[in-house]
Amino acid sequence: MSTATATLPRGLVIARAWAGLGDAVAPLSNATGRPLTRTVKLILDPLVLRPVLHPEFAAGAVAVEHVDALRDRITGAGPVLAATASWFLVFKKERRRLRVTEGNPQDLYFQRCFELATEHGMPGQDAARTAAAVLAEVHAQEGPTVAGLREFVSDEATAYELTRLIEATWAATRRSPAPVPAPTAEFLATCAAAPDQALLHALVAAAAGSAGAADHDRPGVAHAHGLTDRDRPSRPALGARASKTNLPKPFDRSIVERLFTPLTNAFLRAGLADVPSLVRQEIDRSAGSWQLADEVSRVVMVLGREASAGLTGDPPTGDAQARLRSRWEREAYVHRVLRMPSSALHADVRGVREAYVRRLWVRLHGRELRGDTTAADQVWDVLDGVLRSVILDQRDRLRSLLEREAGS
Amino acid sequence: MRVSTSDGLVVGDWPAWPEVTAMLEAAGAVLAWDVLAGDAVPAARVHDPARAAEWLWEIYGPAAEDILGGARDVTVPADGDWSVRDACRTVAQLDWAQAWWPASLSAGVPALDGVALRAEHVLALSGVEHLLDDPDAVERALGSVALPADADLASRVAALAEDYGIDLSPAPAPARSGFALAAGGDSGGGTTVLTGASTVDWTLVPAGTVDAAAPAEWAVVRRGGATVVDVSVVPGPRPGGPLAARFGDVEVTLGEVDGLGRVTGSAPVPASVLLLPPEQRAVVVYAPGFAVPVMPEPGAGARQAAIIAYARSRVGSPSATLTERTAR
Repeated sequence: MSTATATLPRGLVIARAWAGLGDAVAPLSNATGRPLTRTVKLILDPLVLRPVLHPEFAAGAVAVEHVDALRDRITGAGPVLAATASWFLVFKKERRRLRVTEGNPQDLYFQRCFELATEHGMPGQDAARTAAAVLAEVHAQEGPTVAGLREFVSDEATAYELTRLIEATWAATRRSPAPVPAPTAEFLATCAAAPDQALLHALVAAAAGSAGAADHDRPGVAHAHGLTDRDRPSRPALGARASKTNLPKPFDRSIVERLFTPLTNAFLRAGLADVPSLVRQEIDRSAGSWQLADEVSRVVMVLGREASAGLTGDPPTGDAQARLRSRWEREAYVHRVLRMPSSALHADVRGVREAYVRRLWVRLHGRELRGDTTAADQVWDVLDGVLRSVILDQRDRLRSLLEREAGS
Repeated sequence: MRVSTSDGLVVGDWPAWPEVTAMLEAAGAVLAWDVLAGDAVPAARVHDPARAAEWLWEIYGPAAEDILGGARDVTVPADGDWSVRDACRTVAQLDWAQAWWPASLSAGVPALDGVALRAEHVLALSGVEHLLDDPDAVERALGSVALPADADLASRVAALAEDYGIDLSPAPAPARSGFALAAGGDSGGGTTVLTGASTVDWTLVPAGTVDAAAPAEWAVVRRGGATVVDVSVVPGPRPGGPLAARFGDVEVTLGEVDGLGRVTGSAPVPASVLLLPPEQRAVVVYAPGFAVPVMPEPGAGARQAAIIAYARSRVGSPSATLTERTAR
């Protein structure tokens, strides 16, 4: 490598150090011998490299003077990583024996395995029993479940009280009189390449997210965002049941429907509050600006609304708009290469921005439920990831449509 | 390899046509191989150099740094650990095969086993997960995978699915009933005035609906006091979707199946079609709702013939993917 740049890609440094650990970490590696994506995300980053404490190990380029330190850190963690890998095998075996099928084992067990490896080293004679106990804890039926939610709202007296609560909360809501355009351009200009926490703070402190939703109760505004089928948002029902398909648009969902999807995911469910608290918080949230609770989520909604405004039509303004536009335009080419319908994109041009805003809302809602805060350096991942997921879902839909036709 | 910056950062020669392009959507860059060129090293369009820098060395080795550093011409060494690049190629190749594999009874290109293809695809995908644009690509792909018949492939896919906590369904029985040509048949009757055959443009129909090599045949016929055009195409391994044809300005719905198993249709035409110049006496077959009918670009027929020859060479070839190698 030349010395002019004096950096190495972090992926390269990690891959080389990882290769040095050999077969002992194979259960944490993929088929080509690199660490699994979740090995990096759930183990190496938060537990071994810890870029929060060691910014020189953060994603991106690693300065050559830190390369040895990064490699030593992984090599030094070799024994505990090997033990983590062995524990993961024990967990997989126990999971199979106990016929647990819920959730992604990497998501659910990686960090538990690392804890056990740190505490006990390699799994010993009673490893299976230890693993079974942790599995029981992870998959405990306690905590919020869809069944628990249904049961809670099916009690007549509770349902009555909650319905009154929705009415009272919505009646007490006051919105700011007029929408104030938020100074989002500055943050959006740099959020992909060099996110500025201070700029995001300023937007949150100025309540720019709430201000951006002040016109939602005017006829047609929330409808135009694709967040409701109604002329203006109205008080949600408490609801009794929900299904994953055919969910109404976000603002039209009942309280039960809003909580349904997060509760069906074992990994996401793990960090959630109990059912009564979840329901009461959701009622509160539904009456807030953007029907979200945290100002930072509302700010990200405004950022997403601005960034997605340049997907079609006039040339994009600003870096975030340009990047999203480029992803969207790439998709037309991808469609040709993958031999997908050429007309579908044109039909969806108007729908894409609405789908984008809807998906963004669902994602931010989920983050709020789990108590994840959104820092400046996560905003672009959210804004870009939402468009990717809208696009990939559209591809899946077209594919299954073609397959259904071919089978007819 | 040439590195161009005139239209974004592009490494190497980008494949000229969709139907020869094996593509992989990676983080910050798209990789593409021209299947007919047979190069191990792909072309790349880098749209986010910071993201791509993390893994581009897996594809170009030490040349990756030069590419991102502004070099206009780079050399990728032949020696090195290219296992990740090879896995990328397998993923891209199978995506290509799913879209463009020219299954054709008339040209002797067997259809691929779709279940095996998806299984092999997700296994290769799991080896390159760390550089994909979509961080959930493996889970997404596992969602449409079924257990293949091949025992080794099946056990590897099952293990992968277990690692991601996804239940696989057993594969449905393959339905190939439509993929056979009958031995004889009848004609529509009448007096044939003019006949011809046109290549079917693959980009206008979904994969597998039409035999990739058999031309669309047309005949202008006087029948029952009227002039009509009869059009027929040979179905591929996955027929079923709506098909239509354009002959001059005339739209022909291909909604019947004749005694030869061909998909056919007829429509009245003005007698003036006989005065059309020969180059306009062509039929354009297309799938309504999938593409709009346009005359094929020059060279499309030769390109299709080259791809058919390429596909034939992949069957049984040790260098091909398992799915292509074992097609029958």
